[in-house]
Amino acid sequence: MLGIDDPQIWLGYLLAIGFALWCLLYGLLNWNRGEGGDGS
Amino acid sequence: MAVDTLVFAAITIVYLVVTMALGYLGYRHTRETEDYLVAGRRIHPAILALSYGATFISTSAIVGFGGVAGQLGMGLIWLTVFNIGVGIFIAFVVFGTKTRELGQRMKALTFPDLMGKVYRSSFMQYATAAIIVIGMPLYTAAILIGGARFIEETLRIDYNLALLGFALIVAIYVVLGGLIAVMYTDALQGSVMLVGMTLLIFLTYITLGGVVEAHSALNAMSNLVPAALKAAGHTGWTSMPALGSPIWFTLVTTMVLGVGIGVLAQPQLIVRFMTVKDRRSLNRAVFVGGPFILMMTGVAFTVGALTNVYFYTNRNMTALEVAGGNVDKIIPAYINSVMPDIFIVIFMLALLAAAMSTLSSLFHTMGTALGYDIWVYTSEGRPSLGASQRGIVLMILVSVLLAYVMPGGIIARATAMFMGLCASAFLPAFAYGLYAKNPSTLPARVSLITGSLVWFLYTVLVHKAESEILGISKALFGTVSILPMPWPVVDPLIVALPASILALLIGIQVGKEGRSGRIPQ
Repeated sequence: MLGIDDPQIWLGYLLAIGFALWCLLYGLLNWNRGEGGDGS
Repeated sequence: MAVDTLVFAAITIVYLVVTMALGYLGYRHTRETEDYLVAGRRIHPAILALSYGATFISTSAIVGFGGVAGQLGMGLIWLTVFNIGVGIFIAFVVFGTKTRELGQRMKALTFPDLMGKVYRSSFMQYATAAIIVIGMPLYTAAILIGGARFIEETLRIDYNLALLGFALIVAIYVVLGGLIAVMYTDALQGSVMLVGMTLLIFLTYITLGGVVEAHSALNAMSNLVPAALKAAGHTGWTSMPALGSPIWFTLVTTMVLGVGIGVLAQPQLIVRFMTVKDRRSLNRAVFVGGPFILMMTGVAFTVGALTNVYFYTNRNMTALEVAGGNVDKIIPAYINSVMPDIFIVIFMLALLAAAMSTLSSLFHTMGTALGYDIWVYTSEGRPSLGASQRGIVLMILVSVLLAYVMPGGIIARATAMFMGLCASAFLPAFAYGLYAKNPSTLPARVSLITGSLVWFLYTVLVHKAESEILGISKALFGTVSILPMPWPVVDPLIVALPASILALLIGIQVGKEGRSGRIPQ
């Protein structure tokens, strides 16, 4: 994939980019959740 | 350095003026101890995310670990997976939300203070503070030396002057402006780092002819791996090392797991969760934090590995050969060879910013551990801003002195050592204190002591990277490591953390008579 043969490496890249996108999505979906005080 | 020193000096001065102005802003906003220690619990989520990320990522993460990627290849990307998945997502969502909530409810002002209040145990507060005060100067001295060497080389000034000047500039805004100043300046430094790393990845792929072309070229270089590295398990720069080989153990246990998990129990990061007013701020910080870390370590490790393509195409040498065998020189050599002058200045500034942001947070954390958690509580004095400031000044002096006397070999190991110690000593007790309904003190004490002790013994007697330099195992037993392979290359954290968890579980079973922990809600 993208010039890298070893699946252990491109899986690592997929997960790293996937987690970063997940953080973006999580932040967006919970943008206004937990406002004020203990906010749990 | 290829770029004109005067140009870099001028831009550095502008950057330092802005940094000091932000430090002054922190000073103006600091009125009481809560402002000084937890930034008044009113920090903006974007500032939290940038500050957390900039503190997390030091110069050694970019230059040191980027250089390791130049030597060992793209397998280091798994550290980025952990950096984001564990270091950001789990840290903020699982640990951060509870830390913020308990910190606010119990009015905890430092990490040791939180541990003491969660367990209603002065032992937990003092022991946590003591581990920080003893262990953190090693890490701080390593950051100081790295920063001073970098300033010495780029501005061409005397090393001692660079070391003292670097420490003094950071000390001024940390001592006067407390955590508000630290986090404001961190946000600036994080932004500079983001610009530098973004330019670095784009320019690298453009220079090497595109993403697929660059990776394919690196893929085709596996036959160029030096014989010694091949014998230790290196299989090429776009593949993982051979399973179970010494390089595999170092990559997976020390770098990926050691640093990847170790970050969860870093006191200078944990305290940042207590600087925001609500959970919403933490959610928003995750939005910024994940992509920020991808652009830091993800870029550093990818570019680090790809330097081999550039050097082989242009000089017929691998990156390690160009750097004369010193992994720390791979990234600087690449930057100076390939990048335009203006980029070199931006990248150098990003490295200076990375060192300053980590250093300021370490100064603040260990200084408050001494001045607030140990000094004030043992002398039964009133918590005051002045006591914390005196603690910080004292710990800065200790770190500067250590920077002059520490052996070179230990300095290179200091980051992984401190992360391993923190995770082994604090992580199980911290997690139990946050999430147990009624945490008792005994399991936490047993876990903290067991984790620290096993980590120390393993570091001194088994793990070759440290035991060889320390020489204690050799003096006592006539051998560098008292255990056979693969244990000398397995990171101390891999043994000490499970021991600490086991001690906690045993403590929970046998210690039901232990004192009730959390303050009733």
